[in-house]
Amino acid sequence: MKEFELEPGEHVVKEARKHWFLFLSGLLPYAIIAVLPFALPNLLMLVPAFESYASFFDFSTPLMRISLGVWLLITWTSAWGAFTRYFLDAWVLTNNRLVDIDQKRYFSREVSSLLLSRVQDVTIKVNGVIPSLLDIGDISVQSAGATVDEFTMKGIPHPSQMRDLILKYVPTEPQTPGI
Amino acid sequence: MSASALLTQLNLRSGDLIVGALYVVFAFWAFYTLVAIYHWLKYSHASWVTFPAIAVHLFISLAIMSYALYGSIPLFVSYI
Repeated sequence: MKEFELEPGEHVVKEARKHWFLFLSGLLPYAIIAVLPFALPNLLMLVPAFESYASFFDFSTPLMRISLGVWLLITWTSAWGAFTRYFLDAWVLTNNRLVDIDQKRYFSREVSSLLLSRVQDVTIKVNGVIPSLLDIGDISVQSAGATVDEFTMKGIPHPSQMRDLILKYVPTEPQTPGI
Repeated sequence: MSASALLTQLNLRSGDLIVGALYVVFAFWAFYTLVAIYHWLKYSHASWVTFPAIAVHLFISLAIMSYALYGSIPLFVSYI
């Protein structure tokens, strides 16, 4: 682990990311942008006033082919960047703590840790039809006296399982602060 | 002044402009790709996804570039 070092006896229990559905929803604009040059001529043909512009999208000519290539390259690279940010944005549950790695954009990361010994309450929230069907939800972890008062994980798959897993590793006996 | 007249005055051909624009786009792509690969290698926690993700990106990008430049995709792409 680069962002945080595991202490002796500490091990990773689970690494979680946002649900794949949320990732695919985020990719939808890129898919629409990629298809646009191919769909636009057909759409223009539907409107008689713009019919003549449809011939502009002839990708057999070098200039239009290069334009299409540049368009697709930028779209693909941006979509891949979105996947990179999705993958690097993760929650790590160890047997000692919960780590939230927030990849906001390139060169902008925020890593927060919450000791499980400070956890007071774990709440899950599932709102909406699709989140209910796909079992996507938010988990709020309230802590006592920590620098992070509430730790929220949004859009994670199977939130109830994750909550149970967190609670399983919360020590039942109160520990001395600093240990 | 029309665009072609301006190009003539600047002693440039439209092809030169296209090549120049392509260099800019490819340079941007290379920089963006390097930044993303740096993040993958540094922050992916040695996940098995890292190298396939980078390989797929390079593969598809090179196929798109090849199409843009030559109008065809490389032979090795057509086998997959």
